[in-house]
Amino acid sequence: MSQLRKGTLEYCVLALLEEGQRYGFELVRTLSEEDGLMVSEGTIYPLLSRLRRDLLVETSWQESETGPPRRYYHLTDAGRRALADFSDGWIKFRDSVDALLQHKEKGHERER
Amino acid sequence: MNVNADPLVEDYLRHLEAVASGLPEYRREELLAEIRAHLDEALRQVPAGDETAVRSVLDRLGSPEEIVAAAAEPMPAGQFAYVPPTNGLAIASLLFGIFWFGGIGSVAALVLGYRARREIRKSAGGQRGSSLATIGIVLGWIGIALLVIAAVAAFVLLAATATTSGSPTTG
Repeated sequence: MSQLRKGTLEYCVLALLEEGQRYGFELVRTLSEEDGLMVSEGTIYPLLSRLRRDLLVETSWQESETGPPRRYYHLTDAGRRALADFSDGWIKFRDSVDALLQHKEKGHERER
Repeated sequence: MNVNADPLVEDYLRHLEAVASGLPEYRREELLAEIRAHLDEALRQVPAGDETAVRSVLDRLGSPEEIVAAAAEPMPAGQFAYVPPTNGLAIASLLFGIFWFGGIGSVAALVLGYRARREIRKSAGGQRGSSLATIGIVLGWIGIALLVIAAVAAFVLLAATATTSGSPTTG
């Protein structure tokens, strides 16, 4: 399960950025507040760094009203494509897994 | 609230720096800058001295080991590693540090070295060469020390010759 979480987390990041640019803290807080993801906030920063190196996201510094400048992340065209590919695959994958899990549950009910 | 004001946070950052020392320089600098910015942002919403709240911010962040493990994971095969450019001032600082130029090089090495380190820190992983700048700075200080020693030696020598040449007339 933890491997599955880790593998899908980067697409969760891309999905959040599809709605618009966000700065690191904002992005990290939003993800960590999703209970099911169970992610430590600090481990998202290395992931962001990797996405930037893979050219799926870009960063820019922008002034903030409350403190030092913030590093904003935004999606590149390559990131948008990667997200679209993943979304297609994920829906099929999820449906198959759901179908198999539900099949198993029904099996258990019959046994009782 | 300042990140560096809280002993818990200071401990955490020291620990993180120690654990992260095995990462490549530019990845480490970037990670530390991001974590510092995160803490800065998170702690601004926390009343000063509220230890429980500070602990919860650090808990949510995760252990330094966990974070560094995530940063150290190898990249998937077939992808090239992005290597950020080296800061030009850092290289210049090193060269000036090596070529002493009668002390002028040392001053230049120091000025450029400190400026390079500031720029590299500000780039948060976008530039490398912090160790080059540090070597330039060290060489710069050595050069200045040599200059001072040479000046003192020359002065002492001059004073000694002055007294020896002056003694027959006074004595």
